[in-house]
Amino acid sequence: MTQRATSPMILALLITSLGFATLIFAQEAASPPLIYGAYYTGTLFVLYLGVRLLLPHSDVLLLPIVTMLTGIGLVMIFRLTYDIEGAENLATTQAIWILVGSGAMFIIVLLFRNYHRLFDYKYLLALGAVALIASTFTPFGYEVNGARLWVAIGPVNFQPSEFARIALVIFFAGYLAEKRDVMTATSRTVLGIQIPALKYFGPVALVWAASLGLLVFEKDLGSSLLFFAVPLFMLYAATGRIAYVLLGTVLFSVGSLVTYFLFGHVQLRVQSWLDPWEDPDGTGFQILQSIFNIADGGLTGTGLGAGFSQTIPEVETDFIFSAIASELGLLGATAVLLAFLAFVYRGIKISLLAEDEASKLLAFGLTAMFALQTLVIVGGVTKAIPLTGITLPFVSYGGSSVVGSFILTALLLVISEKAGKREAEETLYEDGA
Amino acid sequence: MNAHVRRTFYLFAAGFVALVGMLAYWQVYARESLANNPQNGLQTQRALETPRGLILAGDGETVLAESVRRKTESGRVYDRVYPGGEAFSSVVGYWSTKYGATGIEIGQNSELSGTAEPATLDALINQMTGGPQPGNNVVLTLDPELQRIAYEGLAATATGRGSAMAVDPKTGEILALVSYPSYDPNNIDENFPELANDPTTPLYNRATQSLYPPGSTFKVITSAAALKAGVRPSDEFFDPGFLDTPGYRVVNYQRKDFGRLTFAEALVFSVNVIFAKIAIKEVGPELLYQTARDFGFGDPYDDFPLPVSASDLGYPVDQWVEGNTAQISFGQDRVSSNVFEMGLAAATVANDGVMMDPRIVREVRSPDGIILDRPAPSTRHRALDVGTAQTLNGMMQGVITTGQLTEAEVPGVEVAGKTGTAEAPPGQPHSWFVAFAPAEDPEIAVAVMVENGGEIGPQGDAATPAIPIAQDIMEAYLKGEGR
Repeated sequence: MTQRATSPMILALLITSLGFATLIFAQEAASPPLIYGAYYTGTLFVLYLGVRLLLPHSDVLLLPIVTMLTGIGLVMIFRLTYDIEGAENLATTQAIWILVGSGAMFIIVLLFRNYHRLFDYKYLLALGAVALIASTFTPFGYEVNGARLWVAIGPVNFQPSEFARIALVIFFAGYLAEKRDVMTATSRTVLGIQIPALKYFGPVALVWAASLGLLVFEKDLGSSLLFFAVPLFMLYAATGRIAYVLLGTVLFSVGSLVTYFLFGHVQLRVQSWLDPWEDPDGTGFQILQSIFNIADGGLTGTGLGAGFSQTIPEVETDFIFSAIASELGLLGATAVLLAFLAFVYRGIKISLLAEDEASKLLAFGLTAMFALQTLVIVGGVTKAIPLTGITLPFVSYGGSSVVGSFILTALLLVISEKAGKREAEETLYEDGA
Repeated sequence: MNAHVRRTFYLFAAGFVALVGMLAYWQVYARESLANNPQNGLQTQRALETPRGLILAGDGETVLAESVRRKTESGRVYDRVYPGGEAFSSVVGYWSTKYGATGIEIGQNSELSGTAEPATLDALINQMTGGPQPGNNVVLTLDPELQRIAYEGLAATATGRGSAMAVDPKTGEILALVSYPSYDPNNIDENFPELANDPTTPLYNRATQSLYPPGSTFKVITSAAALKAGVRPSDEFFDPGFLDTPGYRVVNYQRKDFGRLTFAEALVFSVNVIFAKIAIKEVGPELLYQTARDFGFGDPYDDFPLPVSASDLGYPVDQWVEGNTAQISFGQDRVSSNVFEMGLAAATVANDGVMMDPRIVREVRSPDGIILDRPAPSTRHRALDVGTAQTLNGMMQGVITTGQLTEAEVPGVEVAGKTGTAEAPPGQPHSWFVAFAPAEDPEIAVAVMVENGGEIGPQGDAATPAIPIAQDIMEAYLKGEGR
């Protein structure tokens, strides 16, 4: 199993190194790209060895995919910011956050191999998540671009919602696994539609309420969408009841409509999605620059370092996919999307192979969150859906996002270890017999 | 539960497929329309961030246009700089992201901008990997010294408007091409609105794009037609001082009458009456028209990198009455031309009747100096047979020697030429001069025109400011050859 995993890992590291090597020629930069390449290769390879050592039966492809995506992200961040005054150090900061994320992954892999303990603290985790979200309203919190979703403690700035999301998924997994039977069984029928018991629906509704609260007070459309949709998917997976999905959708639609009419910033987002040409230098500027740059890439892209995606505001965070599509073209961007899909596939597979329901739901919830986040932001920058400010996992610049995504991966890895171990033991038993 | 999980995965997978579809829509289907959208500044920025090639003078060293790197907030951009300034802008032109481009900058844009077909392996690799493609360098045929002499000569004229060209008659290489007043292409973005409204039209290329009556310099072409029609230089004609045609009376310049003259003398003294007589009686409209066409009239020189307005004789030849033919013979009526065309006509006589294709690009080099294209001199066609051309050459030498045009003489060599004072009512006449030297083995042909420069003095003599400018150009070139 170890050998099967090593070649994708080496391939992923080679892709990143090739990216940095290309930048030397494309940007006439001197040694920095090579230093980044060497640093990145070293960090991720050590992390990989550590994970293989501690979790020898865990999923073999997750870490290579993460390595490739994070590496492409680091290359793009360096390429987009190295010559921009005031932003020269973003790539260095990102590299440090990758190190922190790797450390977090290693700690989880080391300490939470028996992750079932987490479910014992599910209410505590839910409380912690709410506290994290609420922390932005303390004096530590501050606004960026009109959205209050940052907290500064000492020199460290982070977005608590990135971590609250994961805590909530753990809570839901534990809660739904426990209540699944009662929620499926106790139901009445109204007009031929089965209505689930509202009693057990309470905590879910509570989180949805919190989600809408986020939308209203933090102006964080992307996060609130995830807070809303992920529990919905988990509810569906646990019970198989379309009724939950319908109920959630109706609630969300009503909520969205209300906020649309109540809040200018939501209207603005929708307007600039429907008709960005109306105000091409104002509200429509960002999405139009994104589209222009994506189109500029064509089939094969302008080549790394030869595009103009620096014209897109926030290109290194929310719009990094536009830069990839511009410089690597339809082929490169599709390849990156396939890597994301492969991650989702592995996550779903981990969920399918997991032994108990809580593990299944946890793996599924984390994967669904990852998939939705990717679809929402890529859909947003390609003007397929209205734009919601959210990071592209692993690729976008942002400490909280990178560390959060590494933690998410670490949890998937420990879940997969258990199923892998069982499978290995069965194989051994069969071979022995 | 697994079934639900699986179903959700299909939903996600469908979402990813939809995203690829969306990307394909933007990057393939809608690509071109987005690239051409007026809100899309990426192509302009690409042009700014890619260094254009150099434009060099004929010595291969004098830089006339270069891209100079400048660091800005959004990365590096290149400014187009013109060390040659105003003296060269009628050829080099300007390149602006705001106001477009003119001259060689647009005429050779595909070479200069690096968008031409890849010519070297490096360029091919660069293009395939999407790397930067610096433009190729364009070396012109211009002699920087002659260009400056012509520019300064025109600048020093009383009216301050005119044009000049010099050409190597054997190769067709343009040695100088000047329009005055000119402009400084270095600050075109700031100055364009003012220049565009300037009544002296500095942005207009008088040497190639403007058209003027060529006056008596056209007699070179009429003479060629007469020689073809069998008139000999020694043939005698009588000038009573006027010639009546139906509806039009031809008179001589300053209303002189010359009496009995040979054809050669008629050219020397530029006798309108005799030329009108020859054109009507000996040549006829058809031959005159055909000869003018052989010398390049009616041709916009499409292969030449600068825009050229085709010279013209006015009415269609089958509508000419005698009065038209008479006036056309001495370059009036509706005959219109410029120094570019008249210089080429002189060069054709100088080159024993063979007209060469005019060329202003000597070679194209890749950024690392590899010669990508060096067109060989090419013959356009033969306008006159050798004998006729040499006879006309001799007659034009007579214009200088017999006519005692000492201003046009170059020490040590024979000069052949023809003056012109073209009426341009309501203004003063234009002063013209076409010439070539050394007459026995011509190395340079010139044409100079000073707009409204032929001011009539108190004695009734017109000023001839075009002659000393042409003489300066020829002398400088022939001296330089000996160096």
